[in-house]
Amino acid sequence: MKCLLISSQSAEVLFHWTDPEFYQNVQAQYGASQEDGHGLPAFEDSISTLFAPIIISCITMVDRLGDSYTSFTTENNHIYVLHQFDECLYIAVNGDGEEGEGDLRRKIYVMKKMIEVISNLLKRELRPQDTEQRARLWEHLQSLLETYSHLRENDQSFLVECIEFLERRLVQQLNSSVERAGEEVLHAFILVHTKLLAFYSSRNASTLSTSDLLSLIIMSQNMYPSNTDQDDPNPEDIESTSGSGPESFYTPEPSPTDMDSRSSADMPVRESTPLFEFVDPDVQMAEDSLHTLEVPPPDPSTPRRVFLEVSLKDGLFPMMPHSMYCLPLWPGITLVLLTKIPTSAVAMSVYTFLEAFAKLEKRLNEGQEGPAATRGQPTIHDIRSKLDKFIKALGASEIQSAQLQNVWTDFKNRIGRGARVQQRAYPQLSGPRPWCTGEGPLAQFIKSKVWSLVSTTRRYLQKGYSTVTLRDGDFYFCYFLWFENETGYKLEAGDIPVLPDDSAPIGMLAWDYYRKLLRYYSKNHQGEVVKCYELLTVHLGVIPTEVILQHCRQLASKLWEPSRNPLL
Amino acid sequence: MTSAEEDVLQHKDGRLRVEVLPGGAFIEPLTGSESSFISVSGHPVLLLPITKTEPESVSSDETDVSDSQFEGVLHNSSFQEKANSACATTGGRREARHTEDIRALYCNYLKKEMENRDHQMAYRALKMRKIEKEMCNYFFLYDGSKVRGESDQTREGICYFYPEETPLDRQELLCGQLAGAGRCVSELSSSPVRILNLHRNRFAIRMEDDLLWALGCSVEVPTVSVCELLDQLINLFCFYNGSVRHSYQLNSQETLASRWAQYLSHLQSGSSELQHIFSCLTTIDSTNVDPLLLLKAALILQACQRCPLVLAGCILFRGRVVSTQMSPQLTMKVMVHESGTYTKPQRPNGQSSSFGSAVSSTAVFLTPSELQYLQSTPVDKDFSSHSTPHKNTPLKKTRLSRTLSDTPSSTESEPSDPGSSQSPQKLLSPHLSESSVYSSDPSQSTPNPPPPQSPEPPLSNGKHSPVEESLEESYYHSFHSNGEGGSQIDNGGDSSAFGENSHLNGGGVDGACGEEFNFRVAEESHDNKVSEEVSGRGCGRVQGHEVETPDPPRSDAFEHPGESPLIPMTLYLHRVKGLVLALLVEPHFLSDKASMEEVYHSSLASLNGLEAHLRSVSPGVPGAPGPYIFAHFDCIQSTLTSNLSGRPGGAPERPFVRATSLLHSHFCNTETLQEAIIRSAGAAVYGTRSVAQETYFQQHGGSLRNSGIPNHQDSAFSLPGKARHRLLKHGVNLL
Repeated sequence: MKCLLISSQSAEVLFHWTDPEFYQNVQAQYGASQEDGHGLPAFEDSISTLFAPIIISCITMVDRLGDSYTSFTTENNHIYVLHQFDECLYIAVNGDGEEGEGDLRRKIYVMKKMIEVISNLLKRELRPQDTEQRARLWEHLQSLLETYSHLRENDQSFLVECIEFLERRLVQQLNSSVERAGEEVLHAFILVHTKLLAFYSSRNASTLSTSDLLSLIIMSQNMYPSNTDQDDPNPEDIESTSGSGPESFYTPEPSPTDMDSRSSADMPVRESTPLFEFVDPDVQMAEDSLHTLEVPPPDPSTPRRVFLEVSLKDGLFPMMPHSMYCLPLWPGITLVLLTKIPTSAVAMSVYTFLEAFAKLEKRLNEGQEGPAATRGQPTIHDIRSKLDKFIKALGASEIQSAQLQNVWTDFKNRIGRGARVQQRAYPQLSGPRPWCTGEGPLAQFIKSKVWSLVSTTRRYLQKGYSTVTLRDGDFYFCYFLWFENETGYKLEAGDIPVLPDDSAPIGMLAWDYYRKLLRYYSKNHQGEVVKCYELLTVHLGVIPTEVILQHCRQLASKLWEPSRNPLL
Repeated sequence: MTSAEEDVLQHKDGRLRVEVLPGGAFIEPLTGSESSFISVSGHPVLLLPITKTEPESVSSDETDVSDSQFEGVLHNSSFQEKANSACATTGGRREARHTEDIRALYCNYLKKEMENRDHQMAYRALKMRKIEKEMCNYFFLYDGSKVRGESDQTREGICYFYPEETPLDRQELLCGQLAGAGRCVSELSSSPVRILNLHRNRFAIRMEDDLLWALGCSVEVPTVSVCELLDQLINLFCFYNGSVRHSYQLNSQETLASRWAQYLSHLQSGSSELQHIFSCLTTIDSTNVDPLLLLKAALILQACQRCPLVLAGCILFRGRVVSTQMSPQLTMKVMVHESGTYTKPQRPNGQSSSFGSAVSSTAVFLTPSELQYLQSTPVDKDFSSHSTPHKNTPLKKTRLSRTLSDTPSSTESEPSDPGSSQSPQKLLSPHLSESSVYSSDPSQSTPNPPPPQSPEPPLSNGKHSPVEESLEESYYHSFHSNGEGGSQIDNGGDSSAFGENSHLNGGGVDGACGEEFNFRVAEESHDNKVSEEVSGRGCGRVQGHEVETPDPPRSDAFEHPGESPLIPMTLYLHRVKGLVLALLVEPHFLSDKASMEEVYHSSLASLNGLEAHLRSVSPGVPGAPGPYIFAHFDCIQSTLTSNLSGRPGGAPERPFVRATSLLHSHFCNTETLQEAIIRSAGAAVYGTRSVAQETYFQQHGGSLRNSGIPNHQDSAFSLPGKARHRLLKHGVNLL
């Protein structure tokens, strides 16, 4: 029984998502009286009425006590987590024991992040007046949320919120002159399911932040879901998972080409092969296969507007509009292009105005309008006119699909020629793949253990503990976090901030904890480049602790070995 | 692209061209231009929220101190300067003297000021310490049934609010909002709210019908501990007052407010933070006491228990447990009476003379599971079950003498048994039992003869109204009538054979069934009574899990105080200076002069002796702060052994307490977790647990300088070995 609800301060439901069970529960409680009004609005009314007392109470508490609810737990272990972002109150509910308080809080933060990325939505835009439009928007958000939850439950890189590279190869950069129709390709990456196969950035592009990248992966998964976890594992799969094959977790569907002979997992491992040697025929295949998919996917040439963080010399712009093109190359393999819209310079200044406008509006609402409030700020009129201009500019800049085709061709060409290198540094996940492979009770059991280990260690980290070992049932868990400088010198363990229970989740998708941790730690290591590593292991409990620790040490030191062999 | 942009990008490139190593969670290097750790848009991150109480009051308090200090200093210095400058410029003698006067005055003023400030600081320090000691920030009982209509004010529903000095509008705010939001959530989930977290407070909640209890602590306190504290508090109230609803019908709100306050302060008093975390019993330091004394205490209790009317007892010395026959939860309840001002020496008319003021008693109420547990304890059961036939067959007056002489066979004509048939007072209560002895089935028995209305209720302590007394009697009666029902079935022979004996053999299925049967009967008859006599509250709770297993440790956490039929009993206390013998006895024990005398006299000498011995025991050096800290919690006995100084706010112990509280929560929530080592920059703490115990250990000193990279030579990983070795001498065996 799950639910996620966003409400305004006036207890108006801005967005809701429920699983069927919760839906039925609400219907059961409100069923009789609502039977006449079918469909969405009726349900919306019910859920709104049911939650209203909590929402109103929450707001009253903030106003009058300066404190408010962060969570409720009932005797039958239903959990309600509440969090307020500005004027929006988020409530996440779980009644089936599958998610803890931390998971729900994380979900809330991720939801907020996704909303920011896809829409830069102001509060009122989350709930368009037009019912149809609202239904469409909500549906999109709901499916993103479901995709996220699915990835979180099934994909280790979303479990720990790291970018997982399939291959540590020198990635290549697109020539900065790639410009078509006023668009400039800033970033391009190829995903095999959720894993990054390759990542390219234009030379003058700002870094794509980890949380943005993770959000984009969720979006591409939402558009072209990998259905690997629905596949019945065949014997070969099981065999391969027990081995040390680096990519045995995701087994792509059998393909009808000569690719049959090798699993796609092997592809990235072939060091010497030029990256896109196989691209052309495959792309053709992929393009053909598009037509055979059961559900017609969204037109790949229609970009999605996404709002990403950009840091330039002028400052940090948290929500700059970009166009996202998502092209399925092959089932499970997706190319994502991020382009800068031609008017991004306008966007930047408009963003500044928007900020000022929001501030101004806030002050006006507070009734503190006066010369002091507006001094040094652009006038409302100015802002309005600039805003209008900006909106018009946005409308005109939508690129045509033909143009996209050009971009795409050009992109392929450049790859083929081998472009210059620009390496991006992302928090990465490295580890044995079979963590979560296979079906059956044992695999599920181990998976649940690993998943709970991660949340447990996050919890201790939140409270300032950077080393944790646990003997839990038949297993021995270890968790280590440490800092190194650029040369690999192990820095002394320092204080880790102790955060309150209701703080943002530790991770990188919604709130880049590690970047902040590094900044905090670096205060005492000025002038040094500090890096942070984490190691999580699960051993059988019968192994002597000493041996386990030695093994952990070996693993940790392997991180520094130049070889490209995967761990284990 | 401008050259400036170029520059930036060059820089950026340089920054980004950091080599990424295979594997490892690599995090991008920092440029430091972005927001600091503390200010994150949309979510203010609070670092180290150590405030123990509601931050509003505390923080304002703190700023008070610092501000006034600061202003004082500022003020003083400027004053001085002014004086000096005045002196310098004029230079005249008169002026000089004048200046000196001023200076002297100023000195006086300063001195006074400093004194005042000292006092203030001391006062504040005291206040802070008090705050630090008190775990509970808020506690209230709210009766939603009184606030139904639009015109009803929230305040009408507030039965009790702590801290009592809280402004009424704030009380209303908290009660109204928490109750409202709580009810809403409960309806959505069809289950009462148990925990409610705010940013700064953690509330344990109990909801029953329209009653809502809420206990708020700092968020630093583990959830399990807050919930346990609330349960303890409610159970304590019910133990001394019976059902909450009923108490509020009988007593004024003020009277009950003082009781809540008393229980609350008792639960928070004199114990360290660790004790709060584990909700444990305070016991005497057994390592410091001759084991023979403990044995002696146990023997005294056993001797008392041989009186069939005595259920179980405990011996306390200066607020600490010396020996107990009861579950830790029950013992904790009994201790409140001993320690508090609640003691109201009361003798039913004319009985007290021979015992003096050393003996007192009070009515208490047991939950069915508590009573069942007491009766299922082997030693206890043996006798108390026999007490039933004793009542059945008043002519066979064997039991008491047997208990006292300790020889079952030689009891027949013991002259020291004045009890049984003679005592008119005693007749009153057996009469209750007898009335139902003759009805073949208690639950169907013809309208029970009206024993409850008996003219002279044995339990007249002046506090209860006749209605309540009759209710208590009926509870009592009905409970016992079912026992007799059992014996009836057994045809009066060995009444204990049915149900209870089988339970002795390890609680076979039959035994469990027997128990359940008994209680179901009890409940039914109780139902009848209540509906007949009082507009009784429902009582459908005594079924299933509570009853079928006498599971003492946490069982009463699940009792529903507003609902369950509580069984009246009496708490008998015999005080010898700092020593107290507390016995749970059948209510008619008080009217059974003979039994009382037996118990009193048989234990008096021993108690005196024990008291003298315990008094002579030196308090024992609290143990020089060793190179390690440990805490050992016995989950069965609910006792804590530790070498922690217990000083509040002991800085070096803080990390240990914090880690322990985290680990304890983790152990509570994860059944399979056996062992853990956690390390922060300040401390590495090892925790281990078994079914019966939890142990936490931290080694002082040693070089904490380390990088945190896995290293088997790391001192943190030698903690388990050290703990095993070091704790042996504290009687803690971790092998």
